[in-house]
Formats: sequence, structure tokens, C-alpha cells
Amino acid sequence: MRSPDKTCVFFYNPPSSGYDPIDYAELSRYSMTFPNVSRIWQYHDFLWNEKNIKGKIEEYGIDHIVLAGILPGTVKTLFSKAMGIAGKDPSNVILASFNDYYTGTTFNMDRLKSVLACLISGLSYETVAIPDENPVNPATLVIGGGIAGIQASLEIAYSNNLVYLVEKTGTIGGKMATFDKTFPTLDCAACILTPKMVEVNQNPNIKLMTYCDVREVTGEPGNFTVKVLKKARKVNVQTCIGCGTCAEKCPAQAPSEFDAGTTMRKAIYIPFPQAVPNKYMIDADSCIYLKTGKCRACVKACPVPDCINLDEQDEEVTINVGNIIVASGFKPFDAKKMVQFGYGKYPNVLTSLEFERLLNASGPTGGDIHLRSQDKKGNWIFTTEAGKPEKIAIIHCVGSRDKNFNKYCSRVCCMYSLKFSHLVLEKLPGTEIYEFFIDMRSFGKGYEEFYERILEEDVSIIRGKTANVEERNGKLFLRGENILKGELLECTVDMVVLSIGLEAGEDTQNLSRILSIPTSEDGWFEEVHYNLDPTATSRGGIYLAGTCQGPKDIPDSVAQGSAAAARTIQSILKGKVRKDLLSIPLETIEKRISELTLTQQEENVL
Amino acid sequence: MSVRVQPELRNQLIQFGIGDWNACYHCGTCTAMCPLSEEGFLFPRKKIRLMQMGLESEIESSVEPWLCYYCGDCTNSCPRDANPGELMMSLRRYLTSIYDWTGLSKKFYTSELWEIGSILLIAALVVIAFLVGLPAMGYSFTTELTSQGGVKINSFAPIHIIEAFDWAMAIVVGGLLISNILRMYYKIIWKHGHMKVTFWVHIREFWRLVFNFSVQPKFGKCDDKRYWFSHWLLMSGYTIMFIVVVVFLPWFQTEKIVPAWHLQRALGYYATFGLLFGLLVAIAGRMRRKDVKFYFSHVSDWLFLVMLTLTVITGILIHIFRIYGMPFATYIFYIIHMAVLVPMILIEVPFSKWSHLAYRPFAVYFQHLKRHSVPRKTKHSNVI
Repeated sequence: MRSPDKTCVFFYNPPSSGYDPIDYAELSRYSMTFPNVSRIWQYHDFLWNEKNIKGKIEEYGIDHIVLAGILPGTVKTLFSKAMGIAGKDPSNVILASFNDYYTGTTFNMDRLKSVLACLISGLSYETVAIPDENPVNPATLVIGGGIAGIQASLEIAYSNNLVYLVEKTGTIGGKMATFDKTFPTLDCAACILTPKMVEVNQNPNIKLMTYCDVREVTGEPGNFTVKVLKKARKVNVQTCIGCGTCAEKCPAQAPSEFDAGTTMRKAIYIPFPQAVPNKYMIDADSCIYLKTGKCRACVKACPVPDCINLDEQDEEVTINVGNIIVASGFKPFDAKKMVQFGYGKYPNVLTSLEFERLLNASGPTGGDIHLRSQDKKGNWIFTTEAGKPEKIAIIHCVGSRDKNFNKYCSRVCCMYSLKFSHLVLEKLPGTEIYEFFIDMRSFGKGYEEFYERILEEDVSIIRGKTANVEERNGKLFLRGENILKGELLECTVDMVVLSIGLEAGEDTQNLSRILSIPTSEDGWFEEVHYNLDPTATSRGGIYLAGTCQGPKDIPDSVAQGSAAAARTIQSILKGKVRKDLLSIPLETIEKRISELTLTQQEENVL
Repeated sequence: MSVRVQPELRNQLIQFGIGDWNACYHCGTCTAMCPLSEEGFLFPRKKIRLMQMGLESEIESSVEPWLCYYCGDCTNSCPRDANPGELMMSLRRYLTSIYDWTGLSKKFYTSELWEIGSILLIAALVVIAFLVGLPAMGYSFTTELTSQGGVKINSFAPIHIIEAFDWAMAIVVGGLLISNILRMYYKIIWKHGHMKVTFWVHIREFWRLVFNFSVQPKFGKCDDKRYWFSHWLLMSGYTIMFIVVVVFLPWFQTEKIVPAWHLQRALGYYATFGLLFGLLVAIAGRMRRKDVKFYFSHVSDWLFLVMLTLTVITGILIHIFRIYGMPFATYIFYIIHMAVLVPMILIEVPFSKWSHLAYRPFAVYFQHLKRHSVPRKTKHSNVI
């Protein structure tokens, strides 16, 4: 127990923090109930500089300072220095960062009080707040059917436990299904992914729920009740035979999501030929019948009776699970935001996802690289008439490592850009390729070797990011600086590929609210500990896998999928899962604090 | 040629307004964005590199800072918030202090006390000269100056004394500027022993100096042409006023009030309009802080604007009072006008922000000299 009247609580509450307001008056009252708290300071009390703080420390003989508030670490150095100058131990300045305990909706006052109580008593919150454990429902919910979600589902299913795999689109496979090759091994992405997708479909332990959204999660770790919205697919998955007659007759078209908008698909469609489940679905936004009430061409064409039901409505399904794995993935950076590169303005400025489809044998051109030109209707299509590109520029770091957009590195762009160079040279030998990079980040196993291999191929790898893409005489003109040579670089190319970065998926904020798990300032889901516990979240029974936690490549996503599955299986085998930290009432915390301080005193006496 | 690396240089440069010198990660976006950056004269990134490494001699021999007209494209597109535009501006301040052999420029840029103190001191001397100096020379304030109607400006401020003083000031300021430009020439062209510029090139490229001084075509290359226009109005207005006041003072400062369409007044009105317009754009810009160009303001930027504005406003007031025959007000404002104008010219033109009127066109001239330079044959050249 600390000597009385020697601790001071400083509430760091500057005028605007961007968070919901906190009742600091209530927290001050609560802090004063502790006998060892002698002073309460507020941000507005006096001018905070070393000299003043040192004066106050000496005046009141303060030994310990608890800095509480939103990001109180910003003033910690000031207080530590002042303590040092005053001849006290600078390490006795302890942080209570309330923003760590923000759940995305509001602050829980009892939780803030618990944190304060622990720190005022000289104990860390984590040692005091050990949650109880709940019995566990062996079923698991996996949100997201990309490679991370597929891997996690399979791992759990192999342990003979039930998995609900909820996917918002009509097929599993995620972004990886759209890729041509994987780096650095140059495996065909579809060839290694589709067997896993089929496995998911065939495993009796996996209940696949495609075209579904998680709407509500209630209950507590070990026993969550999840409401899932089954969006109306309008085609019966059980009876559809996937013959495609309906799509032949369908008059409505929309850009294909799978081909990154480079081709058109019908309003009734299969996302891609290897989709799982390989069943048709109707896109309500482009279906003529759903918009005007007239058409029904697909119903007339369908050979299976009652398979297509255009009047099917969304329905809500409730499932009970013990653990939840979030694998909701990323969204690609919107290249239109960087106007200087002219994406959306010039047809031959492509994003990496579009280029990935262009390279792919199942893509818009069957794997031949053509230029894009405008057809009669004004749509941009890849045609043989437009010719093949002779010069291609690949610009790295589009939207990443840029304080105007995303300040983090998206990790995968350097490697996939190098992969593009290789694939282009494989298909069109003699093509001049310029890679404009800032720093080459080939960070993984075999990645540096891959980079060296590309360096030996006939690719101009130029340090320096180009700033502008302009159209001149039907070609694309780039202006940049070759930094290592110190020269101005101007080149004319036929095609520009923008290596766009990764951003937190559009559902992340929504899921964060539904699941009550925090996101970081960049929008990714926040893990408990970046180094030592990257799969767990602050809520018990909810784990993260794949790019929803941060940008990562396929091997890392798969590894994290397995890791999250291991955590789930661990709790199923143990039969117990820890409750939320939020679930511990303030009284329990206070009781434990007094118990712990008593044992400490006894130890000291001994 | 050996190069000395001085890491402490950047600490010195911070005093000239350089912010986060360490933020740049050399992606080259700024150089590629810049419409003025050209082969052989790449900036801003290269200059940031020199600054980060502390290559003092390389910075001193750069013409590039003067080729930048601060449109702000680089700062807007910088992915690191490294603010290349302001870094170039700071380098211009630093170079001004390097060219200046008296060392006063550095004092003025790095110490507000020195700059404002000197301005106030010179202003006080001007006021003393009018109130004490002129009466002591026999030009006493007699009642006839104010009583008999009409403004006797040439009796109050004897034209031959003012003219002599103008010429003296022009010679001092011009002498300082020319000596600084010679130092600039030495650092940029002469010091590079391995490059040779022929005399003929000096003559052939000389037109660029005149052309760039009067038209500022480089400024016009920036994306936003409005600033080129407002700056050109300001510059032309100032140049006309300067020539009229220094060279043609007896023609300009007359007791007889000439008609409004007379060249004397017409020129004055144009110059006043140009100055006011340019000043208004700059002051409004610096107050609104919407454009990057005007976002960061060093003390020297504001001092220059405020003093020039005061000069113009007092000039206008003198004109109005003179026309309406208000002798006393005219004399008072004549003294204030001089007390602002003289320190402004003496401090700002050779030592501070205003020196760019000479350095910029000369930099373009030197740029072309550099471009047409040929490697000098040295006795060691065949060894390599």
C-alpha cells in the first residue's frame, strides 16, 4: 500500500480530443475517495510546463502521478522530466490512456473508474482485471470467405467442430480468386485456391452462408447469438443446376465485380466460373424486373421449376456460436483520389486489380495483353484493335506511404508490381517496362531473391515516383525524377499500371460497432498486442484473421487464419473461454485491489 | 573536388525558416510536379538532399532556389508533409545572407530584434534629419510654409538636398547589391574551376537578364498565372516609382499641381495602382492562408509587406493633402513617408527579402551561363 496523501491524478482533458465527452467531474470525485490521492489537477488549472509542475510536486510532496485522459502520453515526458528535476523517481508517472478502453460507441464509466482505481493503487489494470470464464458453444462463426476465412474455417472443420462461414458476396474466394499469379513462387492463384474453396463446400462441418450479412451480435464470449441477414439471392441454391440458360436470356448488364469492372456480366450471374457455390444469383440493382416489374426472362428460360423466385425477400437467420473469427478483408485504394495519375480519365491507366485480370487467362482478353479503347457505346474495353502495349509503366505506392492518403505501407504492392513485370515479359517479350518506386520492400522469404531475378530481366527499375501522367498524341506521358542518377526522366508509354494500396474494408467500421471491437486510427481492427497476440481482440471469443487486421500478403493471411483457428479450437477443447474485460463490475475490481494490496503488504512484512 | 559535409548546417538553416528538414524520403514527386524544374537544374528534392547532408558549398553554388517561384504544387503533392516549397524559400533567405559580405543580412534574418531595431533606428534618424538637420542647415520651419496658402513642398523638403540624398542612397544600395551579385557570381560560376564559361557566352546570354527582370517568364510558367500578373503589376509599379523618384525627382516633385492626365501624375497613378493591387493580393493571401504559397510567413515577409504598404499609403495621403492645399498635413506625412521608405530601401533591398529583385534575374542569367559552360582542360585530365 502506498503511503497516504502522496499520489496526484492529472486529468489530461484538452478542449477537443475527437472522442465522446467524458465526465471528468465524476472521475475526480471517485479518485478522491482513495486515501492516497492528495491532489486532482485538470488541464485548465495552470500553465503546464516543467517549472510549474516541479513547483507543484515539491509544494505537495508528490511521489506518484497518474496521467489519465485521452492520449495522456503526449504530456508524459513533461511530467517525467519535472519529477526528475524535483528529485523524485521519473518512472512513477503512470499513464491511464482512456482511448485504449474506447469501444467505438462510448466510454464505459465503470471501466474508466476500474482503470483509475488500479493505477492509483499502484497495480496494472491487466493484473487485476482477469475475467471469469464461460462455458463454450463449440460452433464458430467465421465472417468473410476470403483466403483467411477459408483457411480458418477448414482448420476448425478438420477438428470436427461446426463452422458457419458467412460471406457477403455470392461466392467465397475473396480477392485472391481474382489474382493471376502469387508472388514469389508464381503459382497460379486460382489453381491453389479453388481446391480449398471446393473443400469448404464439401466439408459437412462447414455451413456456408454466402450473400449474407452479420447484422447483430449479442450474448457473451462462449455463447454469442448472431443474427445473419440472408440477402435474397432469388435463385434456389439447392435446385439450381448452374446451366446458365437464364444468363443467356437476361437482357440487363452490369460491370463484373470479379473482373474489377473490365467486363460486363448479366443481372443474373455466377461471379466467376469456379465460384463456390457454383449457383446463379440475381443482382437486384441491375435486374429490370425488380426495377420496373416487367421482364422475367430468366424465369421463363430456367429449366428447373420454381428455381428462380424473383419475389424472394431478405430473411433473418439466428445462429448460436461460441467464438467468432473476423476475416472481413480489405478494400483497394480508390485510384481516382490521386488525380495526377489520371485514373478514370485515360483508358490505359489501370489499377493493379484491373491489370491482374488483364493478365489472367480467364480475364477479359483470355490472358492476352491489349490496350483499352473506347467502343461505340463509350465503354472502355480491351480490344485487339487497340494493339498491344510496347511500353508499360508501373507506379508503386499509389495511395500508400502518403500523408495525404494512407500513411502506412501496404506491404504487397512492391512484390506484385515486380510480379507484373515478370508476367508481362513472359507474355510479350521485348516490352519496355518502367517500375517507378520509392523504396523496394521485398521483405519476405524468397522475396529478395525474386527481386534480384526481376533485376536480371530486362526491366527498368527506377527510383523516383512519377508525379504526373498526361495524354500526349494518344500516348501517356510521364514526368519523374530518376533519383539515383539525378536526372529528369520523361517517358512516353502505352499503358500505366497504378500499384494501389490496401485500405480497411468498407464493412470494418460497421463490424466494429456490431462486435464492439476497436479499430486503430488507420481503420484496421485493433489486436490485443501487435507482437505477441495479433489474432485476439479486446473482447473474449472474437479473433482476427487476414487483412482486416492490417495489410498483409497471402502467406501471412493464411498463417493468421490458422492461428485464429488454433485459438478457437483451444477454447473449444478447454470448454471455456474468457469473458470480456468489460464484464467485470467495478465492485469486483475494488475487492481484488484490496486483496492484492493486502497480500503485497504481507509479503513485505515477511 | 572535395566536398565538406556539415551536419550542423541544418541547425543553422532552421533559423531561416526551414521546418522539418528530416521528413523527406526522396520519392521525387516534388521535382516531377514542378513545372520549372528542368534537366540539369532539378529542384526541390535535390536541394533538400544537399541540405539534409549539410553540403554547404554545394548549396552556396546553387542557382536553383532562385529559379523557384513558389507555386506550392510541390508542397501540395508531397506525401511526407516535408513542405519543399517553404524549404526552397528558406534556402533563398539563407543564400541572401551568404551573398551578403557585411554579415548584416544574416543578423536581420535570424534576429527580429536586429531587423526591427535597425528599421526603427534609421526611421528615427530620418525624422531627426527633418526636424533638426534641415533647420540647422538654414531651411527653418517658418510660418510662411504653412500660412500663405498652397503647399510649398520644395521649400519644406529642398529638392536638391532630397535629390542628392536619393542618389547617395541609390549608390550605397546599388553598390552593396552589385558587390553581393559579384559574390553570387563567384560562388556559382567562378568557384567551379573545372567548368569554363567563355566571354562570348556572357555577352550572348545577357539579354536573359533584362528579359527576366522585366517580364519574369519563369513565374508565368507556374500553374496559377494570377500571381504572375499581380507580382508583375507590383514589380512594374515599384520600378517606375523608383526610377521617377531617384532619376527624375525634380520633374516628379513639383510645387505646381499638374493636370491629372499629365505623364507625371499618370505614371504615379499607375505605379500606385500596381503596388496596391500586388500588395492587396499578397496581404490577403497571407492572412487567409489558403494557398500554400502564402501559408508560411517569416517575419521578413510581413515586415516587407507592412513597410511597402505604409509607404504607398503615406504617398497617397501626401498626394491628396497636396492637391487640396493642406500644407501642415502634407509635411507631416512627408516625414512619415520618408521615415518608412528610407529604412525599407536601406534594409530590405540589399540585405533582406527585396534583394530578390536582383538575385532572381541574375540567377537565370547564371543558369544559362552554367548551361553553356564547357569542361576546363586540366593537366590531370588525361590521368583519368
